Parts: sequence; C-alpha cells; structure tokens
Amino acid sequence: MSILKVVRHSIKRGVVTILYPRVPIEVDEFYRGLPKLDPRLCIGCGACANACPPEAIRVEDRDGRKVWRIFYGRCIFCARCQEVCPVGAIELSKEFEAASRSREDLVFEAIFEGAKCRACGRYTGVTRREVELAKEILSLSETPRELVEKLSEYASMCSDCKRKLLREKLAGVWRGGGS
Amino acid sequence: MVSEPTIVSYVSKLISMLPPGSVKDVYVASPHKAFVEVDRRSIDEAVAVAYWSLGGFLSTMVGVDMRPRESGFRVYYVLSIEEGISGEKLWLVIWCRVPWHDPKYPSSTPRVPAANWYEREVRDLLGIEAENHPDPRRLVLPDDWPDGLYPLRNDFEYCERPPGRPSRYRFMPEKVEGDGIVQVAVGPVHPLADEPAQFRLFVDGEKIVDVDYRMFFVHRGIEKLGSSKLTYNQVPFIAERICGICGYAHACCYCQAVEEALGVEVPERAQYIRTVLLEVERIHSHLLNLGLACHLAAFDWGFMELFRVREIAMKIAEILTGGRKTYGMNVVGGVRRDIPIDRAKKVLDMLKELKSEYLKVLDAIASNRLLQSRCENVGVLPRGVARSLSVVGPVARGSGLPRDTRYDHPYAAYRELGVKPIVESGGDVWSRLIVRAREVLQSIEIIEHALDRMPLGPIVAEKIEPRDMVHGIGAVEAPRGEDVHFVIVRRDSRLFRWRVRASTYNNWPAIPYMSRGYTIADFPLIVASIDPCYSCTERVIVVDVKRGLVKELSYDRIVYMCRKRGVANVDS
Repeated sequence: MSILKVVRHSIKRGVVTILYPRVPIEVDEFYRGLPKLDPRLCIGCGACANACPPEAIRVEDRDGRKVWRIFYGRCIFCARCQEVCPVGAIELSKEFEAASRSREDLVFEAIFEGAKCRACGRYTGVTRREVELAKEILSLSETPRELVEKLSEYASMCSDCKRKLLREKLAGVWRGGGS
Repeated sequence: MVSEPTIVSYVSKLISMLPPGSVKDVYVASPHKAFVEVDRRSIDEAVAVAYWSLGGFLSTMVGVDMRPRESGFRVYYVLSIEEGISGEKLWLVIWCRVPWHDPKYPSSTPRVPAANWYEREVRDLLGIEAENHPDPRRLVLPDDWPDGLYPLRNDFEYCERPPGRPSRYRFMPEKVEGDGIVQVAVGPVHPLADEPAQFRLFVDGEKIVDVDYRMFFVHRGIEKLGSSKLTYNQVPFIAERICGICGYAHACCYCQAVEEALGVEVPERAQYIRTVLLEVERIHSHLLNLGLACHLAAFDWGFMELFRVREIAMKIAEILTGGRKTYGMNVVGGVRRDIPIDRAKKVLDMLKELKSEYLKVLDAIASNRLLQSRCENVGVLPRGVARSLSVVGPVARGSGLPRDTRYDHPYAAYRELGVKPIVESGGDVWSRLIVRAREVLQSIEIIEHALDRMPLGPIVAEKIEPRDMVHGIGAVEAPRGEDVHFVIVRRDSRLFRWRVRASTYNNWPAIPYMSRGYTIADFPLIVASIDPCYSCTERVIVVDVKRGLVKELSYDRIVYMCRKRGVANVDS
C-alpha cells in the first residue's frame, strides 16, 4: 500500500497541460481540417458537391451563374472533395478552429460566371471556365485540328442550339447535301 | 479451416432435433455460414435448439419488409455458433417468412432471454408481433409515437414526421414485493451512457432490489436513411457516426458486410490497415474506460494519467488518418489512405512510448488498493447469466466466456496475426477492468506485428460488380464487443435493408443482473463497467412511492455519491 509511488510519479512528470488558446496546437502534416477552396483554380463543375456525403458542399444556379457553397457546420472532414476535384482546387487545410457565434461565419461562397451560348445568347448551364478547360483539353489531345475547332464551337453552345444544329445537319444528310 | 461437411453436420443436427417438416430450405452460403428457412410456427423451437443444443449465441436479429417483392416480411435470427461439439465457429442464420396479413411469429424470448430486445425492436419498427413475448412495452419508438405506424416498413417515407400522442412509460420491476421499496430514477440522460437512458432503481434502503430502464431517446433513424436515401458508398460515412468512440469499427463492419454480399476481394494491404486502425481505436477506448473507472472510484490521479497516455493514441490516429478520430477511412472494397513506411516507423516509436508510459501508470495504480477495493466483488455477472444474454466483449470475457470476434470469426488480418481472447473469470467490475487493461497491451502488440508484416499492394479493390438482393453479415470486435451489421444490397447500389447491432445492445440487458444486491453508490461504477460512452447532462430523480415525494438530484450529486460512497438522503 503505497500512495507514495503515485506522488513520486506525479512530481517526476511535472506539468503536461499546455496553455492552449495562447499556445497554438501543432497538428500533423497530413491533417484533415477545414476544406479550403482556391477560387482561382475552381471551374465550378460540382464534382465535389456530387461526392460530398453529408451534402456540405452544394453548387447551385443563380441567374445563370454557378454558386459554389460550403457550410462547414455539416462538413465531416472526409476529404472526398479533395479526392475528386479535377483541377486540385480544394484542399483540406490544417485549420480546425471553426467555432463561431453565428451560422453565417460557417458559410463560404464562390460565384462563377456562366457561359453564354454562342448562338442564342442564353446561359448554357455551365461556367465559362468549364468551357475554357474543355477547349484546352481538346487542343492538347491528339484530335485532328479541324475536329477540335468544330468541337470547340459545340462546347460554347447551349444544349437547345446544339440539338437544333444537329437536327439541321441530319436533315441536310437526309437530303443528300450534308457534309 | 472448417470443411464444408462441418456446417452441413450442424444443419442436419438442427433438422433432426426439430419436428419433421419444419425446415423448408437450407442454403449453405460458405463453409462457415448457412441460411436455414424454417416454418414460422417452429422458429422459436429452432432458435432455442441452435442456442442451447448447438452452442449458439444470438448475434443479431433482423426483421425485413420484403414487400413488394414478396407478400410479406422475413425474420432472421443470426446465431454465432461458438460452443459447438467440435469447437468450430460458424454463422447459422435461421429465418422464416411472415405473411403481411398476419404478422406474427412465436417469441423465442421465454427460452432465449437474449432475444428480448430484438423482438421488441422488430415489433416497434416493423409491426411484426412476437407472440407470448413477456414484455409488451415499447423499446425503440418514443412513447408518443402513434400506434400502428411502423417506420421501417417500405411504405413509410424516411422524412415523414407523424404527430405525437400523449402517453407514459410504465417502469416495472421483475419481482419486487414488500413495503419500503423506494424508486430512484436515474436519467433521462445518464452520465455514462452512450445514449441517454433513464433508469429506475428499486431500492430498499441503500440496496438495489431491481433495475428497469427506458432507452432509445436518441434513435436517429440511421438504418432507414441508409436503406432509402443514401447509396452504399455513402453509408460508411454515416456508419462511423453511429458511435462517438468506436466509429471505425462500425464503418469497418458495414464495409465487410457489403463486401461479403457483393463478393468483393479486399486487398491484403487494406486488411492490414484496417486491423491497425481498429486496434488504435481499441487502445484509446479502453484507456478512456479505465480512466473513467478511476474517476468514479474517486481516484482522479489515475484518470488524469490514463488520459495523458491516451493522448498518444489519439496522436497516432491523427498521423494515420488525418483526424483525431479514425474517421473517413473506409470505403466498400478497401481503405482511402495508405500508411507510408516513414509514418509507420513514427507510429512504432510512439507505440513504444505509449507502452512504457502505460506500464508505469498501471504500476502506480496497482501500488495501492484505491481502485481495486471499489471494484472487487461489485457488479458480479455470473457466467450462466452472461451466456443466456449473449453478452459480448470485455463483459463476456470478464465473466469467463472466451468470446472474441477477432478469434471466433477472424476478419481483416486477424487470421494471419492470430489473436487469443483474454479471459478473466471473476465476473465483477474488477475483472472487466483487468480484461481491458490487458487488451491494451495485446493491441499494442497486434499493431506492431501488423505494421511489421504489412504486405505491399493496392489499398482498394479495383472493381465491384453489382448484385441484386444479396445478403451480407459483417462482424467486428469493437472495443466494447462484437458489432454486427446485416445488409441486403440491391442492384442499384443502394441498400434494401441495413441492420446495425452495436455491442452495447447485447450488454445493457445485463445491467439489472449486475446491480441487484449492490448499493446506489455502486451503480454508476457498474454501468461504467460495460463501457458506455460519457454523456454530459444528468438528472437523478428520487421518488418515494409511499409519500409521493419527488426529488431531483444533479449529475454532480450522483457522481459525488459514487465517489464518496455516500448515502442517498431520500427523505430530505
């Protein structure tokens, strides 16, 4: 029966707690904290919103623009968004101090300009950056140059106009005059 | 290895012990598992035979609404055969069809007490009545839930919110007679419960005569959500939120069930990573429980020191997964994050530190009898009662039952690593603590071995073929005992049914048996010994039935009583 052992152990140990808010806590190199979006890289494709299990990330249409929106209150820090992002715009930061007095502080939005249809001038439902990226990928591929130009034209049209164009072309083929 | 004839011999023994013609169909799914369809009228007989004569434990029971594919329901009893004649460990699933117009089947509870909660849950959620069930009260649904509305039936939408109706739960002791019995209510939110629970202690002076409880105040409808809105690859992320401590075990268990159903071959490296993470989780959970036991025994030094040691385990989890909890790591078919060699080395170093610190603290705790004197011969659960209730985890092992899913039904990399269950025979709170204390060391050893032997290769299965209406059972030894997930997967990558059975589900019904004859001051310690999680608010209502006096005690008060071993002043 010796409580002395306990006392000796404690004295040897000393103070182990740290003055947390004043002394920052160091987290691991690959820590999964708040997901941060780099709006300069993001193209607004919504892959992250599709993958997000708790639907913390959403991409909505707002007057032709695409609004990327994260609500940190729902985030489970699973890094699915980081995994699926095609351009590497999302990264889970080392930040973990998300506590706030107001809900608005936990919402982050990024707005992306929508692409307008080359033919009718209406919004196409995709962002300008998406169109640009699609064209870029096309030009880097081994597709013949003429086809690239043609496909790039399609890329900046809305689905209605594309359908119309295709219809006209098919009608042309039917009449025996199409290219 | 078990050869196929073994399971066949078990099934034929079952058939020979049942009335002729009651077994309708037998399907041997694997050398370790068989599905036996029996007639609805003899399901109780079949379960009792499998439980007592074939040496089975009730692992889970599932009710499934098969409409519109079939004209009714199904009831599955999943038994883990562990005490068989030749010692093999098998899964035996006994099931029956229940027609929709007459949703009834005979209850197994009178002969197999372990089925008590399961049958009540099936009645609450699916409206399938177990005839002759001794307890007619609700278990899962809230008391103000309307009659005749069953949330797990297919015609009930997951987002429906029916209006409530006024009602009251009736606490009833099993056999309490005589004057002077006072009721002490503990709850509705218990300090040590992973779910808020309300206990009613029937006391004679200081002595507990009987205990009754009401739980499931936070039934969240996760099963319904998982089998309606989510795809099966989203479910692991909600599965790990079933529990705040052993979340990874649930995610792992769920993934194993789906992998089994879909016949997915999980890469070996992923199996080893899962093993490592499961053991990290066990270390931090056991250290938490040991710490809390010290706290409740008014030995706060042990509490602080064990939590300091536990911090190393949390840091290991952070290194391996990126979060202090081992969350977001599992997907169906493997894991999402690899363990590079430099990180594995770092973890091994930290484990060495953890081990030496832990042994020092244990040595200091064992140097005096502060903790031991409070825990010895308190909350004794005899082996026979433990057997009849199918308790799991350290509760079973503390009562001399060598039950450990890692050993009985090896999963992940446990077959290669070889785990022997740690068993103590005392059956008291102290034995359960000793089991946990020894298991921490065992876990450290397992992680060291696993990191050492981990094979190279991919960490997630390449291809997953969809299948329709296939069954899968996943079992994982979580820190508190065996978790069992039962799934039926549909072709459209959703779940038809997902049944979760957490380890504490099998352990709670043992609380009344552990508590009888001990004092109110021992009660928190007894509840803590089955290792439920810590919840924050607590109220204790002391009811004097004779005078109709109601007194509420704060959470601090009951913990104070436990720590001081004080006397409850009921009258004042």
